[in-house]
Amino acid sequence: MSLTFTDIVGLETAKQALLVLAVNPALAGVAIAATVGSGKSTLARAFAALLPEDAPFVELPVNVTEDRLLGGLDLEATLATGVRVIERGLLARAHGGVLYVDGLNLLDNSIMAHLMEAMANGAVRVEREGLSAVHPARFVLVGTYDPSDGEVPRGLLDRIGLIVPFAPQTDAHSRAEVVRRNQPRRRGEAERVSYSGCMCQQEQRHMLGRARSLQRAIADASSARNGVRALPRDIFDPIRECASPSTSPHLCGEVMDDETQMLRAMIADARTRLPQVHIQDEQVQALIQTALSLGVEGNRADVFAVQAALAKAALDGRESVDDDDLRLAVRLVLLPRATRLPDADERRETKGEETRGQVDRGNLEDRDESNATVEPQNERLEELLLSAAEAELPKDVLNLPFGMQRRGRSGSRGAALNNRRGRFVRAVEGDPRGNRIALLQTLMAAAPWQKLRMKNEELRIKKADKGTISFSILNSQFSIRPEDVRVKRFRDKAGMLYIFAVDASGSMAINRMREAKGAAIRLLQDAYVHRDQVALIAFRGQRAQVLLQPSQSVERAKRELDVLPTGGGTPLASALFTAWQLAQQARTRGIAQATLVLLTDGRANVSLGSRESGVNNAPVDKAELQQEIQRLAALLRADGIRAIVIDTQANYLSRGEAPKLAEWLGGRYVYLPNARAEQIAKMLA
Amino acid sequence: MAVSTEATRTRGASRNGIAPRPAAVNYPFTAIVGQEEMKLCLLLNVIDPRIGGVMIMGHRGTGKSTAVRALADVLPMITRVKGDPFNRTPEELRIENEELKGGSDLSQFSILNSQFKRERIPVPVVDLPLGATEDRVCGTIDIEAALTQGVKRFEPGLLARANRGFLYIDEVNLLDDHLVDVLLDVAASGWNVVEREGISVRHPARFVLVGSGNPEEGELRPQLLDRFGLHARITTITDIAQRMEIVRRRRAFDADPHAFVAAWAPQQKALRRRIVAAQKHLAEVEMPDDVLMFAAELCMRLGIDGHRGELTLARASCALAAFEGRRRVTRDDVKRIAVPALRHRLRRDPLETTDAGERIERALMELEASKT
Repeated sequence: MSLTFTDIVGLETAKQALLVLAVNPALAGVAIAATVGSGKSTLARAFAALLPEDAPFVELPVNVTEDRLLGGLDLEATLATGVRVIERGLLARAHGGVLYVDGLNLLDNSIMAHLMEAMANGAVRVEREGLSAVHPARFVLVGTYDPSDGEVPRGLLDRIGLIVPFAPQTDAHSRAEVVRRNQPRRRGEAERVSYSGCMCQQEQRHMLGRARSLQRAIADASSARNGVRALPRDIFDPIRECASPSTSPHLCGEVMDDETQMLRAMIADARTRLPQVHIQDEQVQALIQTALSLGVEGNRADVFAVQAALAKAALDGRESVDDDDLRLAVRLVLLPRATRLPDADERRETKGEETRGQVDRGNLEDRDESNATVEPQNERLEELLLSAAEAELPKDVLNLPFGMQRRGRSGSRGAALNNRRGRFVRAVEGDPRGNRIALLQTLMAAAPWQKLRMKNEELRIKKADKGTISFSILNSQFSIRPEDVRVKRFRDKAGMLYIFAVDASGSMAINRMREAKGAAIRLLQDAYVHRDQVALIAFRGQRAQVLLQPSQSVERAKRELDVLPTGGGTPLASALFTAWQLAQQARTRGIAQATLVLLTDGRANVSLGSRESGVNNAPVDKAELQQEIQRLAALLRADGIRAIVIDTQANYLSRGEAPKLAEWLGGRYVYLPNARAEQIAKMLA
Repeated sequence: MAVSTEATRTRGASRNGIAPRPAAVNYPFTAIVGQEEMKLCLLLNVIDPRIGGVMIMGHRGTGKSTAVRALADVLPMITRVKGDPFNRTPEELRIENEELKGGSDLSQFSILNSQFKRERIPVPVVDLPLGATEDRVCGTIDIEAALTQGVKRFEPGLLARANRGFLYIDEVNLLDDHLVDVLLDVAASGWNVVEREGISVRHPARFVLVGSGNPEEGELRPQLLDRFGLHARITTITDIAQRMEIVRRRRAFDADPHAFVAAWAPQQKALRRRIVAAQKHLAEVEMPDDVLMFAAELCMRLGIDGHRGELTLARASCALAAFEGRRRVTRDDVKRIAVPALRHRLRRDPLETTDAGERIERALMELEASKT
């Protein structure tokens, strides 16, 4: 049994986002974070049912090859016809419809890059294997991902208008409902299932609204059909057709079908209204101001926010944007892109978190001026939006998709192509020596030239001495030349991950924080040279914090280290635990080997539990703390995480904590004041 | 899912050297709000291609690719031999014909008649898509001719199309290393050499390389960065009024691209005229000795190896003066262009945390102080 859109319980925000997207494809897509089994893929498929029959719904498997994605030479057809025949790739096939990706965060870097390019251009350009073609590929992207598998790279996320952050489904009522709706239902019972008390109130309200919209839509349909109004984009144009009474199946049969029908009509109605919806300058300004307060990067989000607000207004049957619409825009566009909490931490901004040139500093001054002249109306709106934002923000900005990744995860280099290990991604021309031959691709490369070669060979033979004809190539079936040979290239994710954990506690301030930073930077540089990934953890106060998710951006790591404040307790246990988590995550991405580089004086005084208990200055049981660290160290060791402890303690203060830690971790111990950064780097290699 | 196929004949397009562009209209260059450094760097390269290209690094969503793609519409026209896939001028073709005497596999394109027909085409801007294979970039044998007639015929690639124009690589840090190496070799020599299926072709491929990328998505190899003449950095615009203007223009463009483009036509035309005038006057622009000295001292003070720094500074400031209709380069021109011309040439010090731009500004101030 396939569930329809309205059948699906929970994921209310996701549903709303999908409806908004259906109304306004200028939003480019929806990214939905949800765990396994929350029904996200069911929802995406149900969404397809809301689209007209002829709007394609293309599913992109995460392990898709470049050929399949972009399209390529259809060798069979080409050989048969003598005319180049191009097989369209998945991106082009999604043109005019939906591209669905389950596992946005699992996409290979190169696949992701192509996806982004297609989204930016609305077309796929094929320049491969002697082909040069442009295929239209305007689609909306519906992507889902399980956040526990890692993050979606921000570059991709940034191009997706609506982002539905992760919200665990804890409500027992709706959990029960999920089960109930998945039960096979008997005819006649259907109505009760969807309209009776098991539907939550909010949903019922939606239904009423939808019914009203449907009536309106049907009334409007004839006018929409006759005087076709120009829409900015025509992706879902056929939806409008469905709204007209003549093409929509009459309200009969399954109730669920009616609901789908209603939603279709609603969307169609909203789409015709969209060009008429008006947004005031003050409202745009309020959105931008909110984006600034939340530290949203780039200027794309502004446009998305405005488009989302317009779509929501259209969906609700209004012709002007109201506060509700703005709130939705904040919730689905701006908030998920926040990199900081509003108001808090002005320090970060002024401290030059971003490398700002002269031009920008000028802009900041301008901004202050314009702030002074903000009208009261705007202040009200901004206040409204910010408070809405605050209410929804998680306590910790690091739980936001953008905040969490800080400076993104690895770039392409994280998974460099090589000729031996990893996943086979493409075949390239190359020397068969030392490489693995891609047989199929080699044969394919040779195939088109057979006629030519045959002809050349005949020519040669004609010219040559008759005596040599006896071993004529004409007898051979297939000629392969060195230039045909294709060898396999693999994408190797089994690189190294270096986790740098830097102690930034109060005791470190006197213990050579500067040297520690210098050493860390030097090591980072080396890791970059070897194209390994680096992650950065800082620990101070109550807990350890991931400053940089596994990435290749040394620049970023340097900057983070640079502004790293010191002070507070030493939550060593938390640092070890966080490092272990990172290593685990990396493993699911295929990075088998992780090395922990721990720069600390080893003086742990905050236990793992103190965070939860919230007791700040509770006396810590030293022995218990030691035990905890010992256990964690054993865990890391058992998981094969290599460790290097770099002791930053000044000699005369040392109590031997760091060497002990190294022993527990089964790792090496280096005493920083004695070691030059270069020497440490050598040890890592 | 049924495999849908469609026959695509692309010969015409590539033969004529006209890049198949997406049907969509480009956003007008002159309508781009802010990001002055990037825009200036691009324009200077149009005025003097010898500057050596631009690398644009910056946050996502700040209009990098919009700007480069928009550039195509303000570029001046060039003259080429009609239908030449390599965009050669009649003079170039004549010389090559004499050199080759028809002995090269390129002779299929040689028009031996000395009465070439000429045509005017806009300076080509070729977009190199990620995932482009080497054979499409450099050119290869025409597969159709081989299949149907059993003859070898060279089919020019993207490098041929880009000759005398711009080659744009978005997300340059995501491009395969081997392809980057090929591009850099060709960019440095100005010639593309293809040996394949027993044919040997060498054709001119002089182009301005424009790259863009996001520093957060992987670093650039230093060798790669050095090859670019200018290095522009852009950040998110934080001025509210500017951002509102961006949203306003973007919406207007999305709602009706053609009307929007029409509304900006006068500005576009004015800019094109200015570029043409600057190109014409470039040769007459003088760089006084004291200004040249200033540039050299700046490079010394910053400890920049080699002479590429001074050279780029000189060329870029001449182009800047030409762009502003002046015949004489001033110290001020050098100062204005110093950051993008030098920021990628400073020695890398892992412990140095100051932004390269700031270091250059500081050096400029010190130098200025010592002069007065």
